[in-house]
Amino acid sequence: MSIAVFNLTKSFDSSTVVDHLSLEIADGEFVVLLGPSGCGKTTTLRMIAGLEQATSGDILIAGTRVNDLPPQRRDVAMVFQSYALYPHMTVAGNIGYPLRVRGLAADQIQKQVRETAALLEIDRLLQRKPRELSGGERQRVALARAIVRHPRAFLMDEPLSNLDAKLRLQMRGELKHLQQKLQTTTVYVTHDQAEAMTLGHRVAVMNKGKLQQFDTPLEIYSRPANRFVAEFVGSPSMNFLEGSIDVTNHRFHNDQISVVLSGVEIEKFSRPDAEKRVVLGIRPEHVKIATSQQDGWYPAGVYVTELMGSETFVILQLGAARIVARVPGDFRADLEDRVWIDFDMTKAHWFDVSGRRL
Amino acid sequence: MKRLLRYFAVAIALLTTLAPVYWMMTISFKREVDQFALPPRWFSFSPTLEHYVDAFVARSFGQYLLSSLIVAVCSTVGALVLGTLAAYSLARFRLPRNFDRKLGLWILSTRMFPAIVTAVPLFLIMRDLSLVNTRLSLIIIYTAFNLPFVVWMMRGFFAEVPRDLEEAAMVDGDSRLGALGRIVLPLVAPGLAATAVFCLIVSWNEFLFALVLTQTDDAMTLPVGIAGRVTQYGIKWGVMSAAAVVAMVPILAFALSVQRYLVRGLSLGAVKG
Repeated sequence: MSIAVFNLTKSFDSSTVVDHLSLEIADGEFVVLLGPSGCGKTTTLRMIAGLEQATSGDILIAGTRVNDLPPQRRDVAMVFQSYALYPHMTVAGNIGYPLRVRGLAADQIQKQVRETAALLEIDRLLQRKPRELSGGERQRVALARAIVRHPRAFLMDEPLSNLDAKLRLQMRGELKHLQQKLQTTTVYVTHDQAEAMTLGHRVAVMNKGKLQQFDTPLEIYSRPANRFVAEFVGSPSMNFLEGSIDVTNHRFHNDQISVVLSGVEIEKFSRPDAEKRVVLGIRPEHVKIATSQQDGWYPAGVYVTELMGSETFVILQLGAARIVARVPGDFRADLEDRVWIDFDMTKAHWFDVSGRRL
Repeated sequence: MKRLLRYFAVAIALLTTLAPVYWMMTISFKREVDQFALPPRWFSFSPTLEHYVDAFVARSFGQYLLSSLIVAVCSTVGALVLGTLAAYSLARFRLPRNFDRKLGLWILSTRMFPAIVTAVPLFLIMRDLSLVNTRLSLIIIYTAFNLPFVVWMMRGFFAEVPRDLEEAAMVDGDSRLGALGRIVLPLVAPGLAATAVFCLIVSWNEFLFALVLTQTDDAMTLPVGIAGRVTQYGIKWGVMSAAAVVAMVPILAFALSVQRYLVRGLSLGAVKG
């Protein structure tokens, strides 16, 4: 079912945790709330679940306002970061719990529990207690408990963050597969931008309680709405160089670099009200490196190289600034080596000093 | 050597706690001539059940026992039901201006004054309610006296239960009370059992209010009944001992039956599970 929040606000005492948040989530969509800790993403999810009372604003599920409904009457399922499995019940008891409290017949419950357990490949664990399960198995039980009753939506609060790195990747794939198979509207909270990019149909980036951008992963990566989004999404993070626009010579320059602006940019920055102090943003993959001198490139020192196997991150010292470049895995350079770098200016992002995209 | 010392210390402790119990039990089985024999007859005496017959057939100790059982069980159940709900609320809900914390302290403060202070006012209240010489009066008072204890014990146990669990239960479709009953209470069962034992012991042994409020055979509890055998004509040691031995049995049986929980309950919170 569709979920929508309008001007959703949550304040605790004097601090506002969620600030006039509006999101519309279509039926069957997988939306990720992404942001650093304390950005209000979990509080938003808890308000949708009904575990937290909204200070103001509306929450709609399937077009109906649910602000005043207690969690048990919203018919959404939630997967907690801690999994929140009931320790005194078996796996079967845990999965069947939502059905039991709805008063389903025992044989019906058993049938549905079996089907769901088979779907998540945990049918051999049904008689175990949660403490006898591994982290990945607990995660599956938590998912099964959410799925078993076919809720109107799944709400997931960092469900993969307690798993080790390898298992996390595996479960991430399974989660996406499952969601596509079930076609259930899903709101997923994470601080991991890789999870957000891979899982979400759309990603809502939040910071300090405010929505920064709500768009497809591709759009968020290629056209970040502001400097915060540009910096938060992408690993390693985007490089930023602050400098000034020289309108007469059509150049952007600072202490380290001086680049010629393209036609579109000249037009953008030539307007009389245009900013003269701007920030240039360049993703690491758009920084080119050469080991020999190239015409018009900037000399830089190698600060450190980080081998990732298939690729290498080179952190460069360009004057007072540090620049990260993403280069093929066979690139070799030693500490303090002199290299020459250039930026692919067709992929440049421009922000004003307050962080707004230009 | 160190082991030996430790066993010696244990032996001393056992001797001091068990000797009076042993003496009481032997007295209950001794004829009166043996009770006061000098030197004391520790082991060799001809056992008799006459005091038990005297206490429970000729006298009303059976009635006292029944009263004690009813009063102790009802007040324990009452205190547990009310106290558990109050403790859950205090553990889970924040009130403005830290009122929940103040409320908790206020509840505890009712146990800070000596019981005798309330004896007279409570007697007057019970008299006006025509509850003097009824078991109900004792049930009400013991429930009230056990409440602060239950609230404080259970609040600690509830605080140990992760909030996620009941939130999950509520999102799963359960009401808050349902989540309390189906998820939270089973998890604090050891704590609940430990608390119940304490309440039961307090109610079972309570003497002051029972003495003030119950003087008839119908309502009197065992402690008052036993003390009543100290009369101006003599002290019925045999009958008192026989009644005391019987009075030990129910509490001992209950404590043993929940022993498994008791140890876990008392150490709950000390170790993260």
